[in-house]
Amino acid sequence: MPGGRRCPDCDSTELVEDSHYSQSQLVCSDCGCVVTEGVLTTTFADEGNLREVAYSRSTGENEQVSRSQQRGLCRVRDLCRVLQLPLTFEDTAVAYYQQAYRLSGIRAARLQKKEVLVGCCVLITCRQHNWPLTIGTICTLIYADLDVFSGTYMQIVKLLGLDVPSLCLADLVKTYCSSFKLFQASPSVPAKYVEDKEKMLSRTLQLVELANETWLVTGRHPLPVITAAAFLAWQSLQPSGRLTCSLARFCKLANVDLPYPASSRLQELLTVLLRMAEQLAWLQILKLNKRSVVKHIGDLLQHRHTLVRKAFRDAAGEREAYERELQGQRQGEEEVGNSSLDLPVRKRPPSPALLLPPCMLKPPKQLRPTPAVCTVTGDENISDSEIEQYLRTPEEVRDFQRAQAASQAAKSVPNPL
Amino acid sequence: MAARLARSLTLFSPTVGPPPMEEEETYLEFYLDQCAAQDELAPPRSPLFSPVASYDVYIPNPSNPEMAFSSHLKVKETSGDFSSVDLSFLPDELTQENKDETVIGSKDEIEKTCKTQSHQSRLPLPDKLDIGLGLNGSDLSSSHSHLHPDDADSVQPSPEKPTSDPLPLASITSMKPMTPVSECSGIVPQLQNIVSTVNLACKLDLKKIALHAKNAEYNPKRFAAVIMRIREPRTTALIFSSGKMVCTGAKSEEQSRLAARKYARVVQKLGFPARFLDFKIQNMVGSCDVRFPIRLEGLVLTHQQFSSYEPELFPGLIYRMVKPRIVLLIFVSGKVVLTGAKERSEIYEAFENIYPILKGFKKT
Repeated sequence: MPGGRRCPDCDSTELVEDSHYSQSQLVCSDCGCVVTEGVLTTTFADEGNLREVAYSRSTGENEQVSRSQQRGLCRVRDLCRVLQLPLTFEDTAVAYYQQAYRLSGIRAARLQKKEVLVGCCVLITCRQHNWPLTIGTICTLIYADLDVFSGTYMQIVKLLGLDVPSLCLADLVKTYCSSFKLFQASPSVPAKYVEDKEKMLSRTLQLVELANETWLVTGRHPLPVITAAAFLAWQSLQPSGRLTCSLARFCKLANVDLPYPASSRLQELLTVLLRMAEQLAWLQILKLNKRSVVKHIGDLLQHRHTLVRKAFRDAAGEREAYERELQGQRQGEEEVGNSSLDLPVRKRPPSPALLLPPCMLKPPKQLRPTPAVCTVTGDENISDSEIEQYLRTPEEVRDFQRAQAASQAAKSVPNPL
Repeated sequence: MAARLARSLTLFSPTVGPPPMEEEETYLEFYLDQCAAQDELAPPRSPLFSPVASYDVYIPNPSNPEMAFSSHLKVKETSGDFSSVDLSFLPDELTQENKDETVIGSKDEIEKTCKTQSHQSRLPLPDKLDIGLGLNGSDLSSSHSHLHPDDADSVQPSPEKPTSDPLPLASITSMKPMTPVSECSGIVPQLQNIVSTVNLACKLDLKKIALHAKNAEYNPKRFAAVIMRIREPRTTALIFSSGKMVCTGAKSEEQSRLAARKYARVVQKLGFPARFLDFKIQNMVGSCDVRFPIRLEGLVLTHQQFSSYEPELFPGLIYRMVKPRIVLLIFVSGKVVLTGAKERSEIYEAFENIYPILKGFKKT
């Protein structure tokens, strides 16, 4: 050890510089006696001389949060607050956004995609908590195009490998119907149109379940079905005053947008109800149509399970349906009850219709005649004449060039106006 | 598994001539020991496998001379229970012609084994086997129509009856080992579109091509390639200035290749030294109809990790199959579109995989 110092205890010259963590010490290697110690703490004056450490290089924060990411996270929180979601949703959505941002495909994407990503994260969070939020709502809130949104949504679900449950139909019915402004009288809503919320909700739910059972919901946007079901429920609760009101007027009264497919869903639902009505003896004689069946929706819904089973069949259950029909004839309509009416002639209920989605009930398209299966090997000879039919002759080339030049000249001449 | 295969192969080594009887016995014992060991290890398979299993224990080596030997073995072993034998060492795919020719020829064998197995397992074998062997349905069904599980009398003589005619080994192994017997759908997806690429290996002047070819359109501001169309086969090609070409619209691989060659010939005739290198099929699209409605909401619940169903975005369910790597679009009407295949067999395989799943959602 240079300096010629000696250990005070054992008088050895073997002193080594051995730091104890941040404190420098001079220690005797023979007996371990600490000869001198450095200063453990700094004085205020010393700290003034030290250099600043940038935040990004400090031990806490290894990654910097870029400004666009910060903006995005802020938007996520704002969106959650606008939708009045619980606080836990906000944290989950923010976590998803951060996770997505770590992917190179998202980090390098256009700003439009990052803005849409905000909506995607909130949507995924809501779906996973069974909060009924439609894609349409999110798109209007973030001013996004549905195509861009769908592309980003599908991409992010695939990249993050997330399990996103389907939209919960029952919850959507409840939230959507609660938004209707029909439960209190107001200058725009006359008294006869006001309805009790609970009654309307329960009947709408039953109608939506019926629609689901009869293939009207699968593959379709859920909202128009709910609109049509709510309209029918509302009409049927007080048919006398409300049959004159149209679907469009109903939506205006309720202060909701009328989705375009809702009218065709309404027609489909009425067709189903009419088929069910044909199975009820006392309704058969009334010869209902799409307007008058609304008055009996209550009864139809009450017996909907049996009526659907009787009114419809699928191709597989044809034979059973036929037998059930014969049985029904013999036994009489006991399930249906109300046999106080003694009909002189017991009419046979019409044969069951096929329970199929509407797209399968349409007449099949004229199939294009499949071209004769010609065995092509791929290595056949290609005749010159066949290729030449695709080439221009020199005269044609000249004419074409002249025509092109003429059109270019016409375009370049400025408009006289 | 490889060791088992190696050992089994040595039993049927083609270099050895038809062995004398005493060697047969030792081989037989050796083989049966293996099978007994496997029986203990593997859990009992479904009874459906047992009739198929009895054939498939044999290695698919059609060209081997031990036909008589193997047939003797087979006759003896049909009385054994092979329901728990692990068949995974057998190849999945056997050539079509093997299947065709051998199925026709193997009617008697199938009957015999049917009877023995059915005697044991008491299954409605005839129809199950029918469907599984549906390759030549009409032939086999006639032979099966008189098979009954409780036909006990006819069962007894068959195991003892030595097969005098040399039954080809390939006939036994013609059954596809891993397919459950009852799941053949009978529906064949039709190919709708094939996308292929080829390298013409020369720089092209797109303006010149657009000028001299009648069937070409070129709009450099919109897209940096010439779009050319021919009538037969009805296809469209994108021709780039680098010499690469994409051909779309053909309905079969051969048609796609013919069309690509025609486009190359057109480019040649226009004065470019075009060649035909690296022709490759990039994508194949097929479609078919299962003819019954499908509950998409149910399917997405049970197959969540593969399916994506967003009715608000798209009316169909997007099913990403892992093996083979194919994307299927499944609609409520029962129509299925299969895409992402590089080979025709991938489309067929994907459909055979999805059909039992869809049948599970057929509302009964």
